[in-house]
Amino acid sequence: MKFVPEVEFSTGLLRPLREDDLPTIVKIYQKSMPAGQSQEAVEEQAKRLLNLAVQMAATQRGLMWAIESEGVMQGMLSLYDWQPTTLKTLMKLDALESLSVDCQVQCIEAAIEFLQGKYHLRNFSYQWVENDGEGVKDVFIQAGFTQQAVLRDGRRTGQDSYIDVTLMSRILETE
Amino acid sequence: MDWNKKTDQYYIRFAHESDIEPMYQLLSDPEVVRYHPKNAMVVEAQAMDEARRMVMQFEAKEAAFWLVEEKVSGDVIGRIALKHFNWVQGSAELQLDLKPAARNRDNVAEILFPVLCLAFEELALHRIEWLLLKEDPVMPDMLADIGFHHDGQLPSFYEFEGQWIDYQVYSLLQNDKSWQSALLADKL
Repeated sequence: MKFVPEVEFSTGLLRPLREDDLPTIVKIYQKSMPAGQSQEAVEEQAKRLLNLAVQMAATQRGLMWAIESEGVMQGMLSLYDWQPTTLKTLMKLDALESLSVDCQVQCIEAAIEFLQGKYHLRNFSYQWVENDGEGVKDVFIQAGFTQQAVLRDGRRTGQDSYIDVTLMSRILETE
Repeated sequence: MDWNKKTDQYYIRFAHESDIEPMYQLLSDPEVVRYHPKNAMVVEAQAMDEARRMVMQFEAKEAAFWLVEEKVSGDVIGRIALKHFNWVQGSAELQLDLKPAARNRDNVAEILFPVLCLAFEELALHRIEWLLLKEDPVMPDMLADIGFHHDGQLPSFYEFEGQWIDYQVYSLLQNDKSWQSALLADKL
């Protein structure tokens, strides 16, 4: 059964992750690879991620799309904390440098339109932390998200260290 | 670790079997739950179910609930909870159901202080959140005065009686100056 649908947009395609995406997934996650973690460990995690992506989608807890542009995977758009009852989900965008800003914005907009139409989701949020860089925040702003809160020390980064989490959201009108 | 606390005026204690009736009296008062997006209880069986859930959530290490009993009268005038324990992030959410007559700054501070001491000092939590409706005419200013910080809002958090609820988020951190000052003064 196919749990992750394909969603086309003008400059690309959101599609399920595949085995041959592993090198790109590793590349995406390498940018945040913790010190001391081996390449093998990252590849092993990427394989697990493929399995988990299917499980998440099958149980409607989340969803992971590969972002394909010009026939090549250039990023991932993921949904976490998908709550079918309260019609909300948390989005995460991981883009390689080669993926244009326009394409990033379009894929978010296409995903929202699809999720609204098929699952009636209306509350889309994104959590930004400083390490993510300003670029991805601007992408979400261009996709219609607005800042709602700064959750002070909202994420733990070590035994005694925390960072603020900026919460952004886009709320669609109730149908 | 002793989860039961006391202050000058109150016992802040876990519920027991004989508390079903006072819990029902508290949570069937529309004024107590007016700014909580939930309906007041209408039958005592709901209080029994609620008490069962409180125990289950505590046993699962998801939440802790205390009743607030007035020492002089023995009346239960409120319930305070630490909910949604997140042991990884070191956070939890406070919730207070309090009879309107007790909703003043001094009482709220007196009730909060031992619970926050437990949260920050004994449970080693770092961030305590409080979600309020903006329509609440009293608590936002009171929390600000006590030392909570307004972080922003959680829009359309969930639906209640056909309305989407926006929550205002307030937070207190273990290393906030206001909390450190309260610790030194032994009160909020």
